[in-house]
Amino acid sequence: MTTSPDERGAELRELFFETSQELLQALNEEALKLEKNPGDEEIVRVIRRTVHTLKGDSAACGLRELSELAHEFEDALSLEGTATQDAVAEIAFASADLFAEMIAAYRGDRKLPSTRSLSKRIKDLTAVPAAKKTRRTRKTAGKASAPRVALKPAADWTEYEKLAMTQAQASGLAVYHVVAKIDPHCAMPIAGRQLIHNALGSVGQVVAVRPDAKSPAASKQVEFVLASAQTVDQIAAKGRIPTIAEEVIVELMLASTSALKKAEVASAVVREDDAEESLQAEANAAFTHVAASGTEPAGIRAAQENVLRVEAGRIDNVLNLVGELIIGKSMLQQALNEFSKRYPKELLRGKFADAMGFQARVLNDLQRSVMKIRMVPVDQLFRRFPRMVRDVSRQCGREVELAVSGQDTDLDKGILDAIAEPLTHLVRNAVSHGIEPAEERRRLGKSSHGVVKLNAYHQGNQVVVEVTDDGRGIDAQKIRAKAIELGMTTAEEAARLNDTETLDFIFRPGFSTADEITEVSGRGVGMDVVQSVLHRLKGSISMETRPGQGTTFRLKLPLTLAIIKALLFWVEQRLYAIPLNAVVEIARTAESEVHQVDNYEVLQLRNQVLPLLRMGRPADGGRHSKLFVLVILVGERKYGLIVDALEGEEELVIKALDDQTFSTDLVSGASILGDGRVVLILNLPAVVEHVARWRPEEAGQANSGLLLSHTDRVRLAMTPAVGGRA
Amino acid sequence: MRNRVRVLVVDDSALMRKLIPQMLAADESLEVVGTAMDGNFCLKKIEELKPNVVTLDLEMPGMNGIDTLKEIMRRQPVPVIVFSSHSTEGASVTLKALGLGAFDFVTKPKDASAHMAETARELIAKVKAAAECKLKPRILAGTQPKQEKASVSSSSPTKVVGIGVSTGGPQAMEYLLTQLPGDFPGTIVVVQHMPDGFTDMFARRLDETCSLRVKEAQSGDLLQRGRVLICPGSRHMKVKRLPLGDIAVLNDEPRVNGHRPSADVLLRSLAEEFKTHAVGVLMTGMGDDGAEGLGAVKKEGGMTIAQSEDSCVVYGMPKAAIERGYAIRVIALDVLGATLQAICGRGAGSEMGSAGRAVRAGH
Repeated sequence: MTTSPDERGAELRELFFETSQELLQALNEEALKLEKNPGDEEIVRVIRRTVHTLKGDSAACGLRELSELAHEFEDALSLEGTATQDAVAEIAFASADLFAEMIAAYRGDRKLPSTRSLSKRIKDLTAVPAAKKTRRTRKTAGKASAPRVALKPAADWTEYEKLAMTQAQASGLAVYHVVAKIDPHCAMPIAGRQLIHNALGSVGQVVAVRPDAKSPAASKQVEFVLASAQTVDQIAAKGRIPTIAEEVIVELMLASTSALKKAEVASAVVREDDAEESLQAEANAAFTHVAASGTEPAGIRAAQENVLRVEAGRIDNVLNLVGELIIGKSMLQQALNEFSKRYPKELLRGKFADAMGFQARVLNDLQRSVMKIRMVPVDQLFRRFPRMVRDVSRQCGREVELAVSGQDTDLDKGILDAIAEPLTHLVRNAVSHGIEPAEERRRLGKSSHGVVKLNAYHQGNQVVVEVTDDGRGIDAQKIRAKAIELGMTTAEEAARLNDTETLDFIFRPGFSTADEITEVSGRGVGMDVVQSVLHRLKGSISMETRPGQGTTFRLKLPLTLAIIKALLFWVEQRLYAIPLNAVVEIARTAESEVHQVDNYEVLQLRNQVLPLLRMGRPADGGRHSKLFVLVILVGERKYGLIVDALEGEEELVIKALDDQTFSTDLVSGASILGDGRVVLILNLPAVVEHVARWRPEEAGQANSGLLLSHTDRVRLAMTPAVGGRA
Repeated sequence: MRNRVRVLVVDDSALMRKLIPQMLAADESLEVVGTAMDGNFCLKKIEELKPNVVTLDLEMPGMNGIDTLKEIMRRQPVPVIVFSSHSTEGASVTLKALGLGAFDFVTKPKDASAHMAETARELIAKVKAAAECKLKPRILAGTQPKQEKASVSSSSPTKVVGIGVSTGGPQAMEYLLTQLPGDFPGTIVVVQHMPDGFTDMFARRLDETCSLRVKEAQSGDLLQRGRVLICPGSRHMKVKRLPLGDIAVLNDEPRVNGHRPSADVLLRSLAEEFKTHAVGVLMTGMGDDGAEGLGAVKKEGGMTIAQSEDSCVVYGMPKAAIERGYAIRVIALDVLGATLQAICGRGAGSEMGSAGRAVRAGH
């Protein structure tokens, strides 16, 4: 209530920028619908209403250009005859784009894009169908033509002036229309006008003057209506005053009464016409109500009601505090454990334990509730794609249908925002490279329509988002060849790789964006970027493809970025953690079970062979010492992570690490335990990457299978927080 | 404040649902108790929250504003202030809403910087007035079927009736004009406080429903018998006697009493030009525009009438005139038509007797 108008304006604009996204989204969606059902008036009405809201909102925020453009479009849409034109959908798309650009420009305080071409297209919309002339233009036409029937000039004579004309006529005078062009060199045009007026007054009675005698506006000409008994020539001669009137044109306006009578009849006809139109308008309006109330998806609307818009930062704040509470809980638990050890017979222990249990439960609920606040349905993201698929499929001449499912699946808003771009990239690729041209598809016995599917679902503690196409798939042979050509692998190495491993090359940085690859698979472009985004999010990406049948990209994402369930373990007296959902199983084995294949250590576990990741030096105990192996899943592949000892399972509140104290991507964050110890959370995809890249011969170390390079280990060791007390 | 006015804001735009409460927050006696995004929610929340006043957007998905309004009026009438947009379409539907019993309307600001404060003031004033008004059952129930328009009469009117009206005007005017026959011997000139763009639609609507000929005035329009001229929004209207006939003259002079059109401007010129042939009427509306003009009419020997309190939606303008002693008569809306006929009929000598009994003296 005490905020200044300026602040309020800024806040309002911010709100507009946000809400307008929804409106633009709706506009796109309706335009898509309209494209499928051309001429559907109900859809046009929804479009109009959306544009209307956009207009009102932008006007209230003082975004004049936007509101004017929206107004033009809204007006055009309210005219009969425009709604049925096919161009409406196109213009709606174009408007949505331009509106978005304008909003971005307002937001960034940049120069606004030109609205001229769209504005012209909107105008064309109203101008085209001459036969279906709109009611509004018809009305103005009727209004303007009625009083003018007998008069050529632009002026509308008032009722009083017309009365004066007819009376003059009745008294036997002729009524003339006199136009005097003022000499451009005339020094005093207004006085000049008066002089002409006086001159004409001497040969008759001036019934009307335009512009008004009092009007100060300079004008190039003056019009008079003169009732006079004199002839045209006499009047013209009188009016032609040297240096004032350059030219005087005199025309007979009323010679007989019949002309005006005609005008009266015409105006009566117009009146009836108007009344009929209004009735029709009324009937149309009534129809609108019925139709509108029937079709709105009430559920979606209902879901949006009672929505509170809160700045994301505030929620993060609460979430942070909840995180601190969880640490506090661990501290208490720790203290309680010590207490129990010291006073095993103390009865208070039970009470403490009860209280702890209760607190833990509430804390759990609290955490879940707060996290839920950040959750939004993936639909918010999926909604963008119909429009994009339409545009891209047009660009590259494919026939593509988009099928969306699982849009109710909730995901952290931050994650959702972060995967927007990777997902866009994947969908775009699926349409432009995955789906074959219609002709080719027919030849292959597929339906000419390609289908791109977007799906989302929960899987344990993760959300999976899939992009599937039924296109040509990716040929592993070609990827293999390309990888060898690019020097990413050797021919013999490549020969050993199975198809899944081969396809992993497309996620490697630098895997070519060259044309032939684009032609073959097109999946090389920017896939490494997609992958790095997912790693940052502690998610993963994997791919499944079948030549000729299609490809699926699967993004696995954590539900939230802030808190993870983690498995804690020790390596060389240091505590580390990895996300629990990456752990498939924990195995105990012995050094003797570790085999060397090609400088890599592998472990035969039951019937599978796991590549091993070793974080520390092999134990001194030699081949008989015991090993803990965590079987972890990174992407679609399993690895064995060798650790010294397990600490346990815990919920960790992730604290971001700043780059200055920490410059390795092997660690994605840190957390503080209840007893104040700090634990580093490993970034598993990066860890795996390191192993894949690491070549013993390059490092000059015989210590094969060693995961971390020397420098990496030094970095970890030097991290001030490790092992210390917070 | 113990009894704050409870307001429910209904608008499908999230922005407006934020902006409107912000505007209303400037006045401590108002409290926004809730918002709703469409008609169904609006009806639900009316039951739940029992607001004193509802602000209603007319363009909404699902149940639109007009249907919502009908439903509100059918179930349990609450004063409704319509938020409408500046467009022809907007004007038409707004007038329809007023016809259905909406208390008044406010146009959405065209431009934040220029009009926001003004819109906020207007909105607050109207919400407060709406909260105070006693909602009456709709008086339009007995509207007569439309009669044939009388042909244009060339003879001068017996009297010139100048009407100043504001909030509640559209309904009251519609009622009044349907009470008058097509051969009404006077001319009626009307200042209805209404923005630009709405008055034309307003005149058209009235023209459709009554037997008098109603139009939005243009400069030079003749004051003919049986004719009603509505002053266009954002202009002033005066009357003028000329040798060949009497006319209306429009101008763009500054606002008077914060209004343009102003009833004071019209009534003063009416008094000046028509003296004892002038009839000044002040009907329902907020504020005191027209009171001084009515005084001028009285001073020049014309007849002055104020609408009675019980028939006013807002008893502001008539009250101001009555308090200053300018109203010769105080007349209820349902007999105002008959009264005007009696007054204007005198010059023509028609039906004086029958109409006369309906006239009640004020005070």
